[in-house]
Amino acid sequence: MSKEAVLAPLRYAWGYLKEISGENAYDRYLAVHARTHGDEVPMDRGEFYRWRQDEKFNNPGSRCP
Amino acid sequence: MGNGLGRWAIWIGVAIFGAICWGVLALSRGETVNAAWLLFAALASYAIAYRFYARFIQTKVLETDDTRATPAERLNNGRDFEPMDRRVLFGHHFAAIAGAGPLVGPVLAAQMGFFPGTVWIIFGVILAGAVQDMTTLFFSMRRNGKTLGQMAREEIGPVGGVAALIAVLSIMVILLAVLALVVVNALAESPWGAFSLLMTLPIALFMGVYLRFLRPGRVLEVSLIGVGLLLLAIVGGGYIDASQYAEAWTFSGNQITFALIAYGFIASVLPVWVLLAPRDYLSTFMKIGTIALLAVGIALTLPVMQMPRATEFAFNGQGPVFAGSLFPFVFITIACGALSGFHALVASGTTPKLIQKESQVRFIGYGAMLMESFVAVMALIAACTLDPGVYFAMNAPPAALGDTVQSASQAVQGFGFSVSPETLQQTADNVGEDSIIGRTGGAPTLAVGISAIFSGLIGGAALQAFWYHFAIMFEALFILTTVDAGTRVGRFMIQDMLGNVYRPLGRTSWLPGNILASALIVGAWGYFLYVGVNDPLGGINQLFPLFGIANQLLAAVALTVGTTILIKMGKLKYVWVTLLPLAWDASVTLTASYLKIFSSDPRMGFFAQRSAAQEALANGELYGTAQSAEDVQQIITNSTVDGILSVLFALLIIIIIADAMRVWAGLIRGRKQPVMSEAPWEESHLDVDGNARDREPVGAGSGSRGGYRSDE
Repeated sequence: MSKEAVLAPLRYAWGYLKEISGENAYDRYLAVHARTHGDEVPMDRGEFYRWRQDEKFNNPGSRCP
Repeated sequence: MGNGLGRWAIWIGVAIFGAICWGVLALSRGETVNAAWLLFAALASYAIAYRFYARFIQTKVLETDDTRATPAERLNNGRDFEPMDRRVLFGHHFAAIAGAGPLVGPVLAAQMGFFPGTVWIIFGVILAGAVQDMTTLFFSMRRNGKTLGQMAREEIGPVGGVAALIAVLSIMVILLAVLALVVVNALAESPWGAFSLLMTLPIALFMGVYLRFLRPGRVLEVSLIGVGLLLLAIVGGGYIDASQYAEAWTFSGNQITFALIAYGFIASVLPVWVLLAPRDYLSTFMKIGTIALLAVGIALTLPVMQMPRATEFAFNGQGPVFAGSLFPFVFITIACGALSGFHALVASGTTPKLIQKESQVRFIGYGAMLMESFVAVMALIAACTLDPGVYFAMNAPPAALGDTVQSASQAVQGFGFSVSPETLQQTADNVGEDSIIGRTGGAPTLAVGISAIFSGLIGGAALQAFWYHFAIMFEALFILTTVDAGTRVGRFMIQDMLGNVYRPLGRTSWLPGNILASALIVGAWGYFLYVGVNDPLGGINQLFPLFGIANQLLAAVALTVGTTILIKMGKLKYVWVTLLPLAWDASVTLTASYLKIFSSDPRMGFFAQRSAAQEALANGELYGTAQSAEDVQQIITNSTVDGILSVLFALLIIIIIADAMRVWAGLIRGRKQPVMSEAPWEESHLDVDGNARDREPVGAGSGSRGGYRSDE
C-alpha cells in the first residue's frame, strides 16, 4: 500500500474536522473579505471569533430533545 | 456507471437480506435473538428507503431544481446565509437534531419488549420522521429559511400561527423539565456522577476563556484539552467515590434540582462564551465519539437480546415504567428516532440557510434523520441486552420497589420477571454505585447497557464502573447543553412576546428584560422539574407521556404545514406523502390525549387519578404509593395540572388541523387561489456538486480532487 493511500483518508478526516468545528472559519473569512471588501482592513482572528460566537448564539436555533 | 441489471441485482439482494433479518426478528422461536439481526434489519431498510422513497419524494413530489439558486447562494452574507459543503452541513444538522431524546425514549419503551419499539423506530422514520424533516427543510429553504411558526401563519392563517407558537413554547417547558429530571435521577445519591459532572463547570469556564482570549477560535485544540480533562474528571470521581469525601459529594434529588434551576438561570443570563459555547463544543465531540464507539461496540461484541420480543405490558397496559398499552403509547414514548416534531424547528431555522443545492435536502433532511433513527436503534439494543429483571428494578417507580434489593427483587417478581437480590447488588457494585434500584429516567439503564458493551470491547469488568460513569457523564453533559440552549431559546421567545406589550422587554441585550424572561422560563420548567422529582407516583412515569404528546403535537404542525404547501403546489396526487403520517400522528396523539383525559382507570387518566386521590384523602386513606396525606395532596395537584395540559395539547392539535382543513377545502374546490410565499426563481451559479464556477463555496473541496483542502 502506498503512503498516499494511507495518508489521503487521514487528510480527508482532518479536513472534515477542521471544517465542521469551525477551526478554519477565519481563513475563509479572509478569503471572502479580500474578494468583496478588499480595500478595508479585515478583523483579526480574535475579533472575528468573538463576533462570530456572539452572532451564532444570539440567534439560537434549537436542538432535538 | 455499471450496468442497470447489476445495480438492480444489488438492490434486490439488499431487500431479500433485509426481509430475512425482519423474519428472524419477528418469528424466530429460539430462546434469544442476536442484536445483529436488528442492526442489519435497520440498515437494509434505511438503504432501500433512502434509495427509493426519499428519491421519489425528491424528484416527483418536491421536484427539487438544481438550476435554482438556494437562499444560501442568493443571500450569501458570510453569516447565517452561506453555501456550506453538504457533508459539513450534514454533520451540523445531525448534531443539532440528535440530543438525549433518541437515547431515552427507546429505553423506556423497552418495557414492552424489543419488537414494538424496533418496528416503530424503523418504519416511523422511513414513512414519517425523515419525511417531515426533509419536506420542512425544503419548504423553509424555498422561503428563505422561514421558521415553522412563520410558515404556519403565512400558509394556513393567524389561528394556526398562534397555535403553533403556543405549542412550541409549551413543548419547550415540558421538554426541559423532563430532561433535567433525567439528569437528577442519574446523579442523585451518586458521589461519582455528581463530582464528575460538577467538574465540567470549571472545565467549560477554562475552555471559554481559552477560546475567547488566549487562543481565539482554536476549537479543535481546546476541545481536545477539554475531552482530556473530562476523562480525568471521571477518573477523579472514582477516587472521590472510594474516599472519605464520598459523603460530602452525595446529594439528594432536591439538592440537585435546586442546583440545576440556579444553574439554568445563571447560564441563561450570562454571555454565551462563558459556559454555553464551550459546553456545546465539548458535548458535540462527546456525542459523536460515544455514538461511534457504541456502533463499533455493538458490531464487534454482537450482544444477545435478553428482553422478550414483546412483554405482556404491550397488551395489558399495566407496565410499571409508564402506563398504557402498545397503541398509542409506544408511538408517544419513542419520539426522537422515529418522528420528532422538534426537528421541524431545526429544519426550518438554521439549516435551510446553508444548503448549496436543492437536491441536497434528501441527503441532509432525510439522511441525517435516518442516522438519528440508527442511534435510537442502538439505545434500544443497549437496553434490551440487559437482564429484564435488572431493567425493571431500575425503571419502576422507586416507591413501588422499596429501598432494599430484597424488596426490589420481590417487586420485580410481581411484574412477572425474576431477578435475585444478589444480582441487583452485583450489578450496582460492577458499575460503582451503592444501588441501582429505581434509577428511573432511562439514562442510568442505558449507561449500564453501554458499560456492558464497552467493557466487552475495552478493559473488561475492571473498567465497567468507569464506562458506566463515562456514559452517565456523556448523557448528563449533553442534556445540560440542551437545557442551556433550550432555556435560551425559550427566553428569546418570551422576550419576543413581551416586546409586543412593552417594547424594551423585547431587546435581548437589555438586562432587566433578560433577567425577567430568564426567570419566567426557568421558573416554568423548574416547577415541573421539582414536582417531577417529588412526585409520589414517579415523575418520569407521569411526565414522559406529556412530553411525547407535546413533541408529536409539533410534528402535527409541521406535517399540516407540509400538506397545505403540497396542495398549493398542485401536488394533490402526492399529498398522501405528508397526509398519511399526519393522520397517523394525529390519531396517535389524540388517542393518547383522550386516554390521559377521559380514561376511568386512575393509573391512566389524570382526572380519574385526581378523583381517586381525592376520595382517598376524604376517607383519610393513602393513595397508590403515597406515604403521607401531603403526598396525596401532591398527587391531586399534579394530576390536575397534567390533566389541564393534556386538554390544552389536544385542543391545539384539533385547532391547527381543523383550521388547515378549511384552507385545504377552499383550495381543492378552487374557491381560493393558492397564495405561496416562495421566493422567486433565480438562476444558480454553483455547479451540480455545489462547487462555484466563479466563487468558492464555504467548506467545499476542490471539485477535481473531490476532497478537502488539507491545509494552507
